[in-house]
Amino acid sequence: MKPFLFLAGVLCLPGGLIHAAGEPAAPSTPEVSPAPGATDAATPTPDESRSSQEADALVAVRASALEVAGAFSNDGFKTRDGHWIGPIRAKKPKVIQVNLYAGNQYWFTAAASEGAKKLAVSIHDEKGAPVQFQPYRDQARASAGFSPDISGPYYIRIEEEEGDPAVFCLIYSYK
Amino acid sequence: MYLRTCAAALLIFGGGIALRGETPAPSAMPSATAVEPVPATAPLTKEELESATRIDSLTIPSPGELMAALSKEAKPNWQGQYRQPIPTTFASRAQIAMNIGGLIADGYIALEAADSQQVKNIGKDVITLAKSLAVSENVIARGNSIFEFAENNEWSALKEELEATQNEVKLALEEQRDGDLVWLVTLGGWVRGTEAVSSWIAANYTPQSAKLLRQPAVVELIRSRILRLPERMRNDELLEEVLEKLDEIERLVSFPEGTTPTQEQVRELRDLTGKLVARISQK
Repeated sequence: MKPFLFLAGVLCLPGGLIHAAGEPAAPSTPEVSPAPGATDAATPTPDESRSSQEADALVAVRASALEVAGAFSNDGFKTRDGHWIGPIRAKKPKVIQVNLYAGNQYWFTAAASEGAKKLAVSIHDEKGAPVQFQPYRDQARASAGFSPDISGPYYIRIEEEEGDPAVFCLIYSYK
Repeated sequence: MYLRTCAAALLIFGGGIALRGETPAPSAMPSATAVEPVPATAPLTKEELESATRIDSLTIPSPGELMAALSKEAKPNWQGQYRQPIPTTFASRAQIAMNIGGLIADGYIALEAADSQQVKNIGKDVITLAKSLAVSENVIARGNSIFEFAENNEWSALKEELEATQNEVKLALEEQRDGDLVWLVTLGGWVRGTEAVSSWIAANYTPQSAKLLRQPAVVELIRSRILRLPERMRNDELLEEVLEKLDEIERLVSFPEGTTPTQEQVRELRDLTGKLVARISQK
């Protein structure tokens, strides 16, 4: 089984991992992390190998999002250190609340793991209405650029429009 | 833990995996005056709004974001927002956590002032406080980077390093099963950042800059998370005071869309956040 699909399956299970930097995981939530000693020269056990694949998949999906955000950094955008990683399935969008300041410019970037074919990111105001944003799409990666006129809460919606269950990572940049 | 794994792997692999497709050209940057038509997007459903994820690391803006927004409206004298050095010994872990957050916000202020010595002083205090939480190992490494970037006036890198340092503290707290303290770090940073910005706006009032202070969901989220803290921690006298003041602060940053706080209201916010910051750093 492909590691991405395996990981998506694990994450979609009840009690599966939805983890974000700075948010304490619930005690019952299994954290995907490299198995102790997985980097040793000794042959890893099956469990160690699986754990390593999971960690690799998380690294890859975040790296993929950071890669897109890197283009924005060249234009003076700062990428926040935090991110949101979780499972995603076609037509089952994920929504996160953010708080934005008028006058700043933002790019919200999502990337999904292998299996996802087409990803979309949209921005909504505090009542849920879509706002005008600048879209960027590249198969399993998508961004939305936005410069709010009003400070306050907004919602970012990430939707897998086509593909198999996958893992996504959302990050954002501002200037 | 996995975040560190991610970071390590990114370093090892020189920053990433193979490219798929093209990355956006700089010309694709957003701007208030040149935005493409909205793609067909449906409004969020009531269920989506109610079940939206709210997490510390993305839902709460960094102090740097608020300062960046204000710097677009005006040229604030950020050095005027410095405060006296705070004590670096506290008996309560909750109080230490809040003060680490406050110091990180101080770091952003010094950074906006392009004051490398002040950044280094603050970095030193962050490490001292982190040691008293026994989470200093990785924070020290970050602190060293802060010194280095400040020494070389690498302000852009410093901005990201400050947030990374704060997240390093939070991760270490989680690993120590002290995750309850994470939101207190966030609280300390948000209050100190809001104090500095509201203080400047109060003294240099314009309606446009006052509108920046609208942050209803931020306070509501922080307050709700503090209310989830274990009772033994919530019954702490300091935290009781914090919750009481957050109620008042929430009222002042929750003005409706389209309205503008008066200068008097901004002064009130400055005074309230100032008192809270002072109380948090009081031994």
